[in-house]
Amino acid sequence: MGVRDRLQGIFRDVFDDDSIVLFDAMTANDIADWDSLTHISLVVASEKEFKTRFILKEVKALKNVGEFIAMIRQKTGLDE
Amino acid sequence: MNELRFDQLSLGMRADFDAVISATMVDQFAALSGDLSPLHMDKDFAVAAGHKDRVVHGLLSASLFSTLVGVHLPGKHALLHEIKAGFHNPVYPGETLKVGGEITYLNDAYKQAEIKASILGSDGKKLVSAILKVGLAV
Repeated sequence: MGVRDRLQGIFRDVFDDDSIVLFDAMTANDIADWDSLTHISLVVASEKEFKTRFILKEVKALKNVGEFIAMIRQKTGLDE
Repeated sequence: MNELRFDQLSLGMRADFDAVISATMVDQFAALSGDLSPLHMDKDFAVAAGHKDRVVHGLLSASLFSTLVGVHLPGKHALLHEIKAGFHNPVYPGETLKVGGEITYLNDAYKQAEIKASILGSDGKKLVSAILKVGLAV
């Protein structure tokens, strides 16, 4: 399973919504329950899933889900 | 009260304390929450249901996790973000409870600590378990 699918699973779990389908331009404006607390849950769950660590500066610089996926690939070396 | 900052926390760090929930506290919680179930309020009813005494409200027991993070680990700078609790066995008024928690994950980006916590009876029996997510202001 690639990074996008694994991340999509995290989103579905955090928001308890199996209908979520990620797209690159997706932002917090696209998911009603995406608030500061669920945002932290997404970051922490992603750290655990991909066995990596994020720093606040790089997370804050992300503009959308596509950039988040790209950052995960860059940090982990996963290319799917 | 402890005043641990995020940079003073480490994996495996833990805190423990003893607590007793009295029958009066059960009555007060019932009045506060409005949960007047006879399981909590009527000893005869609770005994007939197979318990040895009135059963302490689960959320009253779980409130000890608030004490755990707000007073002990990390203390003053804590803000409880999330709690996932399981109620394994009934808690009865007057028994001595062992409340404890251990840090299992630290998220540097948002200064959030994850704590695996439990409430045990004096005989070591697991009564309540929980995963707590705690943000720190500093």
